[in-house]
Amino acid sequence: MTLPQDRAGPYTPPVSRITGLVVALAVAISACRSPSADPSAVPELPAASPADVTGLLAGSARPVVVNVWASWCAPCRSEAALLRQAEAKWGDRVRFLGIDVRDDQAGARSFIAEFGLDGFEHLFDPEGRIPAALGGVGVPHTYFFAPGGELVRLHNGVIDERTLALQIDELLRRG
Amino acid sequence: MELSLLGAALVAVGAMYGVLRWEAGRTNAADCTRALWDALLGGAIAGLAAGRIATLIGDGINPLAHPMDTLIVRGGVDTGFASLAALGTLALMLRRLDGGAWSALDAAAPAALAGLAGWHGGCVVRDACLGTVTDLPWGVAQAGSGIARHPVEIYTAVVLVVAVIGLVVWKRRRPGAGVVAGVALAAAAGIRLATEPMRLAVGSRPSAWYAAGLAAGVAVAAWRLRRGPASSPG
Repeated sequence: MTLPQDRAGPYTPPVSRITGLVVALAVAISACRSPSADPSAVPELPAASPADVTGLLAGSARPVVVNVWASWCAPCRSEAALLRQAEAKWGDRVRFLGIDVRDDQAGARSFIAEFGLDGFEHLFDPEGRIPAALGGVGVPHTYFFAPGGELVRLHNGVIDERTLALQIDELLRRG
Repeated sequence: MELSLLGAALVAVGAMYGVLRWEAGRTNAADCTRALWDALLGGAIAGLAAGRIATLIGDGINPLAHPMDTLIVRGGVDTGFASLAALGTLALMLRRLDGGAWSALDAAAPAALAGLAGWHGGCVVRDACLGTVTDLPWGVAQAGSGIARHPVEIYTAVVLVVAVIGLVVWKRRRPGAGVVAGVALAAAAGIRLATEPMRLAVGSRPSAWYAAGLAAGVAVAAWRLRRGPASSPG
């Protein structure tokens, strides 16, 4: 076996074919859009304070997954579908709560509509006081609370499927 | 890409490179290492990109409108599309090597499996080794928890390493061109298929892809085996 240039002379890639393929793929991808939901169908998000959230967590008989997001946050888009699937799978046993931070209502409602996140409750925190009080850093991040409000785990950054499934499994097994 | 993922990727690339260097002049021709290295890296990058784009489209995100989202690998990489793109790129980049594409794929196969082993073993860096609950004595609990779990990514890495050693030993016997590549594909897919029940998931269950990969690998190996031993050492 020898290196490519030793065999059949200089290699000329079929540029026209590759360009054609890339253009065709781009056209196909641009035609792929998620079902366009209507943001006006999403109710305005209720404003909340750190005390509101602490009280909600303390009073919850179910484990709570709290996801901090914003409509301007690119990584939040990447985990939105995963959170929607998780809510669909475990929503009867785990409470899912979104906290929209440093955002505006129009952007938040568009984001919720675009990714179908209207299945779980969201709170509006334009100054980002709630994550600051809970100890999270940046956007996105996700907290996992046991019933009664004990913080079991904090995941900073985009959450992946395995981590989300593992932490929810931990919450459920703790009872 | 977050730093922990980058760390795992470096472990994978290091394992791949180490096997490639070790094989040079032993079970592979010494002068093809550079071409194999380029092809393996190209395959890995193409696989990541294709798998990530497939996930974005599946999640309703237009990658043309949000091209930077393609870099957020932690957001998910579709296994099936990633594998197809990686294999396609590998075959495309290796097809012009003397000895033919099958011999070239044989030459690259153990290093590719080593890269996969490194990626799974890199779970230690990513803190993402654990799967379903177990009572077995080697079960591992995550920090702050008393719940023991299968270190499923470590199992996968260990079995892949055994497969790499087996393939390298077998290559010395010069089976037909393409047999090693077929067996490697079957091993990679079969190991993931066998360990998948120990993984936790939200929705994705790529077992069908792994089953298809296993079947394809076995079919390729059987087909190439019937053609007799390789005429060139590769």
